Amino acid sequence: MNRIVNVMRMQLINRWTFIGIPAVILVASFGLSWLIWSLVPYEGAKYSGGSQAIMWYFLALGIQSLTMTFPFSQGLSISRKAFFLGTLGLFSIIAVVTTALYYVLSLIEVATDGWGVNGRFFALEWIAEGSGLPMMVFYFTVMMVLFLIGFWAATIYKRWQTTGLLVTGIGAALIVVGLVFYITRAELWGQVGQFLGSQSQLSVAGWLAVVGVALAGGSYLTLRRAVP
Amino acid sequence: MTSVIETHNVIKTYRNSTALDGVNLSLEPGKIYGLLGRNGAGKTTLMSMLTAQGFQTSGNVRVFGESPYENDRVLSRICFIRESQKYPDAFTPKHAFRSAALFFSNWDQAFADRLVDDFQLPLKRSIKKLSRGQLSAVGVIIGLASRAELTFFDEPYLGLDAVARQLFYDRLVEDYALHPRTIVLSSHLIDEVANLLEHVIVIDKGRIIMNDDAESIRGSAFTVVGSAAVVGSFLSGREILHTDNFASLASVTALGVLTPAEKREAAELGLELAPVSLQQLVIRRTLAASTGDLNAVANHSLEVSQ
Repeated sequence: MNRIVNVMRMQLINRWTFIGIPAVILVASFGLSWLIWSLVPYEGAKYSGGSQAIMWYFLALGIQSLTMTFPFSQGLSISRKAFFLGTLGLFSIIAVVTTALYYVLSLIEVATDGWGVNGRFFALEWIAEGSGLPMMVFYFTVMMVLFLIGFWAATIYKRWQTTGLLVTGIGAALIVVGLVFYITRAELWGQVGQFLGSQSQLSVAGWLAVVGVALAGGSYLTLRRAVP
Repeated sequence: MTSVIETHNVIKTYRNSTALDGVNLSLEPGKIYGLLGRNGAGKTTLMSMLTAQGFQTSGNVRVFGESPYENDRVLSRICFIRESQKYPDAFTPKHAFRSAALFFSNWDQAFADRLVDDFQLPLKRSIKKLSRGQLSAVGVIIGLASRAELTFFDEPYLGLDAVARQLFYDRLVEDYALHPRTIVLSSHLIDEVANLLEHVIVIDKGRIIMNDDAESIRGSAFTVVGSAAVVGSFLSGREILHTDNFASLASVTALGVLTPAEKREAAELGLELAPVSLQQLVIRRTLAASTGDLNAVANHSLEVSQ
């Protein structure tokens, strides 16, 4: 347990990676969006996708924490399990904090009529519908899934290099194409549309949670035999 | 349980090569071991198996009596910074040392600080921007200051200048005297480390070809210098490892131990006896292992000296 906590502390030794850079990205993308809103002469609600920026950084972070920090952790005689649990644990905490921050900022956004310029950055229409909890669960699961995609992809690369990534990538693409082909053939698009339209934040978060757990399990099993 | 490391028939094969070919070893606590061998002989691979950083194809590894794989009890007592050790991209040496301090319970920060001064390591420069020698220094400092019960140094001197290398050897010996532990020093600069080593393991093409006390290895051969004809008759019947000729003089290295009577005889014949360097012996034995017999080596050295 102690070593798992120490893995978290090690990941935070350079505060830029997990805290500084995400903060800069958030402030910068928000600042730019605000600037653009104030320049656009439009009366209705103006949406910005800038709140995603930080989430894509989490994907990169997932890759980085494996490719750079895993070999180093091996040099410090950290077991793969402790490394995995510590890294995932730390990231979960970061995702919870970011989610809470998004929620608070979305309240401010609504209260200030979109930061005085009718902008929408955190309280995006569908995501922010209803109470705060579904929105937070949604943001949290999205962040976790993106981080885990990066982490697992990097683990696959670590174990089987380019071949591994190609096989996984092509495999995943084949599954998607196969699904699209089946839906088209069976003329199910109408039902699919209905199904997607009926989803709430919580049910999407539920699907994402299933994906996240699968990604975490896959990452761990791949990491158990990875070599620095 | 007295040994720190026990391996039984460890084999590591890659798709089309064999990196380790049936390694059986037993390392005792409180000694400095030299793991010697040519580039690509299997030194780093062997150390990776011993620390569970890599996986053997078959065979059994026990460290402190247990399997090291995913075993925090064992791993927390080991330090192995590989020669090509990677560090997080945004790390400086200072970050690396603070990380190491989290995981090695015997970590001595004062000692680490002193070593940073010794090696003149820039603490706040990004590790990506360090020179090869400075990068080696980071690994050396972690290895020394961790004071792990079982510490591996993987060709730690790469890129280090002569002064820094000497400092490393000095600090290692000093600190080892104060805090005895098991140290495995992998190297191909044999002469430089020869005086540190208490036990020598030589690996070649994945096989252990020499595994003995440094003293008894040094005593296993001797060199005779004198007039070529006299040396030749004095050594007749012995296995010759190496011959150097200078005009009518010869310097011949032969296997075996001289009795006191033989030593007196040599002195009476006007022959000089000299010890053999560990490096010379390792080179001979390695060549012998690859060519199959010692005579081939003797012929080979004759050709070289002519």
